[in-house]
Amino acid sequence: MATTQAPAVRDRFAALLDPGRVIDHPLERRLYGRDGSIAQGDCGLVVLPETTAEVVACMRLAHDLGIPVVPRGSGTGLCGGAVPLDGALVLSVARMSRILEVDPSVPCARVEPGVLNLDLSTAVRHLGLHYAPDPSSQQACSIGGNVATNAGGPHCLASGVTAQHILGMEIVLADGEVLRLGGTAPDPPGYDLRGFVVGGEGTLGVVTEITVRLSRNPPHVTTMLLDFPTVAAAGAAVGGIIGAGVIPAAMEMMDQKMVVAVEAFVRADLPVEAAALLLVEVDGTAAEVASHTAVVERVGAETGAGRVRVARDEAERALFWKARKSAFGAVARIAPNYYLHDCVVPRTRLVEILARIYEIGAELDLVIMNVFHAGDGNLHPLIAFDRRDPEQVERVHAAGTLIIEACVAVGGVLSGEHGIGLEKRDFMPLTFSATDLEAQACAREAFDPEGRMNPAKVLPIGSRCGEIVLDAGSLPEGTWL
Amino acid sequence: MTTVLAPRTPGEAAQALSEATAARASVTVAGGGTRSRRGRPGPPADRELRTTGMDRVVAHEPADLTLTVEAGVPVTEAVRIAASAGQAWPQAEVREGSTVGGVLAAAASSRQRLRSGAVRDSLLEVVIATGDGRLVTAGGRTVKGVSGYDIPRLAVGSLGTLGVIVQATLKLWPLPPARAWFGAGGPLADRIAAAERALTGGVRPSSVLLGPGRLAVELAGPEDDVRAPEGLAPLTEAPAEPAGEGLVEAGVSPALLGELAVRLEEAGLPYEAWMGVGICRVAVGSAGDVARVRGWALALGGHASVIDGPDHLRADPWGPEPPGVHLMKRLRERFDPAGILNPRMLVWA
Repeated sequence: MATTQAPAVRDRFAALLDPGRVIDHPLERRLYGRDGSIAQGDCGLVVLPETTAEVVACMRLAHDLGIPVVPRGSGTGLCGGAVPLDGALVLSVARMSRILEVDPSVPCARVEPGVLNLDLSTAVRHLGLHYAPDPSSQQACSIGGNVATNAGGPHCLASGVTAQHILGMEIVLADGEVLRLGGTAPDPPGYDLRGFVVGGEGTLGVVTEITVRLSRNPPHVTTMLLDFPTVAAAGAAVGGIIGAGVIPAAMEMMDQKMVVAVEAFVRADLPVEAAALLLVEVDGTAAEVASHTAVVERVGAETGAGRVRVARDEAERALFWKARKSAFGAVARIAPNYYLHDCVVPRTRLVEILARIYEIGAELDLVIMNVFHAGDGNLHPLIAFDRRDPEQVERVHAAGTLIIEACVAVGGVLSGEHGIGLEKRDFMPLTFSATDLEAQACAREAFDPEGRMNPAKVLPIGSRCGEIVLDAGSLPEGTWL
Repeated sequence: MTTVLAPRTPGEAAQALSEATAARASVTVAGGGTRSRRGRPGPPADRELRTTGMDRVVAHEPADLTLTVEAGVPVTEAVRIAASAGQAWPQAEVREGSTVGGVLAAAASSRQRLRSGAVRDSLLEVVIATGDGRLVTAGGRTVKGVSGYDIPRLAVGSLGTLGVIVQATLKLWPLPPARAWFGAGGPLADRIAAAERALTGGVRPSSVLLGPGRLAVELAGPEDDVRAPEGLAPLTEAPAEPAGEGLVEAGVSPALLGELAVRLEEAGLPYEAWMGVGICRVAVGSAGDVARVRGWALALGGHASVIDGPDHLRADPWGPEPPGVHLMKRLRERFDPAGILNPRMLVWA
């Protein structure tokens, strides 16, 4: 793990970039062996290309040397997708961070993959535009990483996840070939390779440029906080609002433990005595906002909401969202580590699954808090723990498994927006048959016949397409598989 | 003689394809047959698989906004079921006689694409029967989810060449409280300017269609928003689609669609440009028309395919090969190893 890479290999990459952009120091490589998950990998060299031509050169050399490659954006991913195994080369696109073009007449932007999500929206705000997907990590995560994981965010409820906002891309395949897929002209003939690459988790190639759809800012926005005496009442309100024909721009739920933690952190005057809080945002024309707000207020009253607090101005709206998006930072006050889960259930099963999650927490003596995208049934149970206590870590893993199994049992799926990566890889057989997984392996193998791109991610060990078995990769200690 | 295969279940469809692969028999896949006049012309395939016998409604979960149906269910029926719960499948182009599977295989998005998005974004889970007879499920039935590789996106628009879509789970949306069409005539430059105003105004239109001598805008939402925009008057019905011997669909950047419209009006070709989307459908009567439209689309950085028409218009249905054809070929080989499915639909794949 701590050994230096073979100098010959390092020097060959250094000749392509410059020595300062090839990282070989064991300490730094240890940092690149991690991402936002709790897995620690085994990182080989790290290269930091700045242009597509440099990416191509690195990919060709890796191809010639037969080295596996793990593409990396900001490293904020939560499923271990950017964690290298077995000394794989990490190719970071963090230095490819230019916004190349903004075209308000489409509207779209052409960006390099290292551009940060929030930076893009900030850069186009003066045009009345924004980039719709808004993961909670949007200040730190990159558009390239968003493409890899098909990232979501609170506002994906009405506007859709990343795949619906990617018009085209440039991708460098495992052998160094460059392809431009899609673009501003919709529906080119043939298969939708562009759409397929989104969510590919770095296993299909390195995306080096992305054309994203920009969205017009809604003329009116109203943001509301509703507090409920029980989780079931909050769940009923979610169902009631959707049932009334309103898909809010965002509809987030926070349970009491989380509200208490956030309030201590943000001081937004949140009702800490409530069992659950709903943050509902509606946007659009004045008429849409008025009618949707009325529905939210009516359903809130019918389902037992204590009061509906409407943000009076942009500052208060920002405070509501700060409370929502600081949830994970707030947990640092409770325990040194947290494990953030991600799974989806049919919206109608939300209350039932939350009850089961509380049960799991009680059975295993763990603090589990919830803050999540209620509108689309996308749960994010958060388990607070201390990784220095190995016995506790074991219980955390056990709870994770039970939560996933419970979600799948009520018709859910493994992940809503974080991806499969290493974390969920071995759970894939819970939702897919061997035949289904073989088909996925075949689709992946069409892009990367040698299986060198981000090996051992997404598909379980032994998944194969015909005679070709995907390289399993050895799992480092401390992963939760 | 073409043998007709009429499976009544996904399992029967897979079995029929397994047998066809074993016999190396080519198979044409047909849903309602409303979008079958596409691809390169040629002699009939050895067998024709009709999906219309697979017509079960598997599950409608209005509270979860999902509908799962077998591929042979008529699209009109799917829309009726959704509407019975106050919901819609707004991304789908609804034609009498079309099937859900056919709409998806042809990636037939509706005129409401401007606001509702492309039909490929509405498919949550798909079951396909591959060319060699495997039943593969991909995606997930929840309204949101990452479930491994996005095979549903590959299936949509694959024209049956990767596998036969046998079942689909669709994401539904609430029906808008009100909707109506508004229109205007006048010089092209004025209509393009009016289209731009409609696209950037406060009310997000569901559709802004430019056609010869006309502009049509559909608004949907609360009653207060469904009022004639300045300079437009109410229309009693949706505008007619361009009619001709064949139909070309061009795709160009939405920013350049007006330029394509200028050339089409000069040439006197009936057309319908989906402003803000970048799609333009053009009625054509000759191979020369196809070539002209394609030439203009290519010059604007786009593309143009013949999506409906008799054989003589389809000598070259697509124009230049898109990037990544070798990847498409590899995908095809892995899902339809004997290459039996719709062999003329995407020849380079």
